[in-house]
Amino acid sequence: MRIADKMQYDQVKNNISKNRTQMADLQNQAATQKRVTKPSDDPLAASRVLGNRIDLQSNQQFTKSLNYAKSFLEITDQSLGDLSEVLVRAKELALGQANDGSGNEESRRVVATEIQQLRNAMVSIGNRKLGDRFIFGGFSTQKAPFTPKGEFTGDQGEMNIHIDKETFLPMNVSGGRIFLGEGVDANGMAKQGPPQAKTLAEFEKQKLEAFNKARPNINQNSTPNSTPPNQAPGSPLNSPQGPAVGSLTEQGSVDHSREPASVQALLSEPEPKEEAAGTNLFSTLKDLEVSLRTNDKQGVQESLNVLDAALSQVVLSRSQVGSRSMTLDTWMQTLEKNKVDDQTQISSLEDADVFNTVSEINKTQATLQATLQTSGKLIQPSLMDFLR
Amino acid sequence: MSRIWSMMDVGRRSMMNSQTALQTTAHNIANKSTEGYSRQRVELQTNQPIGEGKLRIGMGARAGVVTRTNNSYLEKQLEHEGNQSGFLDARSEMLGRVEQVYNEQVNKGLNHSIGAFFNSFRELSNNPESLATRTQVKETAIGMTNDFKKIHEQLTGIQNDADFQMRTKVEQINQITKEIANLNEKIQSVEIGGATANDERDRRDVLIKDLSQKINIRYAESKKDGQLTITAGNTAVLVSGFSQRDLIVSETPAKGSKREGGLDILYKATESGTPINITKQITGGEIGGILEVRDGIIGGLKDNTDEIAYSLATEVNRAHIQGYDRNGRTGNLLFDQPTNAKDAALYMKVSDGVANDVSRIAAAGAAGAPGDNRIANILSGLEYQQTMRDGTANFDDFYSSMVGQVGIEAQRSNSAQESQKDTVSQLKNLRESISGVSLDEETTRMIEFQKSFEASARLIKTADEMIDTVLRLKPM
Repeated sequence: MRIADKMQYDQVKNNISKNRTQMADLQNQAATQKRVTKPSDDPLAASRVLGNRIDLQSNQQFTKSLNYAKSFLEITDQSLGDLSEVLVRAKELALGQANDGSGNEESRRVVATEIQQLRNAMVSIGNRKLGDRFIFGGFSTQKAPFTPKGEFTGDQGEMNIHIDKETFLPMNVSGGRIFLGEGVDANGMAKQGPPQAKTLAEFEKQKLEAFNKARPNINQNSTPNSTPPNQAPGSPLNSPQGPAVGSLTEQGSVDHSREPASVQALLSEPEPKEEAAGTNLFSTLKDLEVSLRTNDKQGVQESLNVLDAALSQVVLSRSQVGSRSMTLDTWMQTLEKNKVDDQTQISSLEDADVFNTVSEINKTQATLQATLQTSGKLIQPSLMDFLR
Repeated sequence: MSRIWSMMDVGRRSMMNSQTALQTTAHNIANKSTEGYSRQRVELQTNQPIGEGKLRIGMGARAGVVTRTNNSYLEKQLEHEGNQSGFLDARSEMLGRVEQVYNEQVNKGLNHSIGAFFNSFRELSNNPESLATRTQVKETAIGMTNDFKKIHEQLTGIQNDADFQMRTKVEQINQITKEIANLNEKIQSVEIGGATANDERDRRDVLIKDLSQKINIRYAESKKDGQLTITAGNTAVLVSGFSQRDLIVSETPAKGSKREGGLDILYKATESGTPINITKQITGGEIGGILEVRDGIIGGLKDNTDEIAYSLATEVNRAHIQGYDRNGRTGNLLFDQPTNAKDAALYMKVSDGVANDVSRIAAAGAAGAPGDNRIANILSGLEYQQTMRDGTANFDDFYSSMVGQVGIEAQRSNSAQESQKDTVSQLKNLRESISGVSLDEETTRMIEFQKSFEASARLIKTADEMIDTVLRLKPM
């Protein structure tokens, strides 16, 4: 092949620039310790790293939520422990006064006062707070769920916590269930309501079902508005999932105080109230107190059975809380494991193999030197040099 | 005597030939590094011999023509590959910038802020009563809308820069075609006398290669007078003989999905004719590469980003509007509801209601229950709902697959560019090996013609001496 001078210079130029580029890339890898610094370095890895990163990010939040739920459950557990101690003490006292051997009118009156205090203690347990939230109020967390008389003003709301992509875990137990036995069957077991809606579609379905159940009430109240709730005023969406998104326009907030009371009750309490089959702790103690004050031995004896039922109702709730706590611990471990997995994957996808990089650098360095040396030799001689 | 005279004459002509050849050598050496130069040679031919009876006496040599050593097929190939190379260079360069918009390897970007947005609902769900968690929802939502907007604006910025580059390149094209038309004229006037216009042709070859690197062209040389006709795209005749027509860059109003204010390339067939839009015909060269990224790739990416923004705002709104805020009001929007996906990313905005009053954020599924977090949970779970593309992907999937696609596109373009570079450099080597100047060769020629010059001079001297000898002959 005929070799022109320009060829040689071009070749030298190309080779050196190729080596230098390679060197710069490797140096960059060594400095950042990353193999992938932009998507085109490895598109598949870059896109998977993004997925892992976002998992890691939500994982962090899930862990935070779990910790919060854990402290919520712990204080619930502690309160239930205190509650059962109150009931045990009440039972002890009742036992002592159930027969004439150890109790008389005088002692019963004294004990009645203590029972009253126990009842007050129970109210204060029912009004316990975590931070500024009442833990037994259901969704109603901002006002004390129990009046001094033991009336429940909270609701049955179940606060779920998002702890993994598809998983929600309830963290509170409503005071209505523990103290009043609402939503508890005759055995003291909690009745399973429908699981809480995870998606909007489920939520709307539940709302509609609740609405249809309550419809007769509304008609009784002769409300002109008998459309389902998802077409209720304030919600301009015509169909829950249809293409009607274009009509998603804010029409101002709706003041629900103007709506009929039945609708409001329905909206605030999606699960219809059922007759309490469980035990009302406050009336139990109240009955006991009355029996003691009136020196009604029979009444005191009868209240012993009720106290047993009350105690088992609390214990069952407590065991439920305990099992939730355990579930949380398991999830915590799962999240921890996922976190390590994600980090390992990210690292294996985008981190540079240091040994590999360094050896590549050495290799390229040697090549570059060889190129420079031979280039020097290649360019120098021409026939001119030998004609002097 | 006449033979001695003719001897002198041969010597003189030979000296002149040597000078011509040396001059061409000097020209070669001087143009050793000139881009596109083809080495030249003086074609020496023997002179017509003189016949004297049976003797045919040679009359020395004469310089015929100065030719250039050039393979026109190779030049054509170089032009073709150069066109491809221009396309890939421009495409890679642009894609490199596009990819930086989506690069979250080093910095946090949209992916992170979408995650943070949904995380803020998880925090809200933990504590729906708190104003602090509500403020966090608002702030992350604003952060996310800013990121959407930033991506949209960065993409528009690249498109605007593409327009700017295109404008410059079209100006260069017009300069080049003017020069080619001039060269056409020069070549014709030189070659009409039978000589070859070596240097002009070299220059014209270089210009065609430059032109082809910028835009896809077709060209043909007339066998009769060496005139070149160049057509850009399919129909725009840029050069025809001595005449040349400019390409025009013009802003066209927005039409359909086209970006507002994007530049188009127009061509007028005659001075007074109506300009015809030939943008679609330009599929090669740097402008072709720029156009593909500007309209095809960035256009698609913008659509996808808009789609995410639109779905996200719509889905969030759909749940949020059914929720109840801190004061038991319902029907609040979290984002201003976009009417359609077009430019949704650019105009995504947290609704004024929520921006001014975070208590309007709806966490509850019913009124009057401050601890109710049902809507917050639904919103928090929305991140993993397959809401995009007819329920086949969630926001995260859609976004990361989009980033993956940008990466693949850039990677493919880069590797194609790499291999194209090799092809071109190989072809260039091949061209240089035929047309390039070799100093060794030229030095050898220099010596050769110097010696030839010396020998011719010696010849003249010998003839001179011979004449002297003849003149000194005395009649005995």
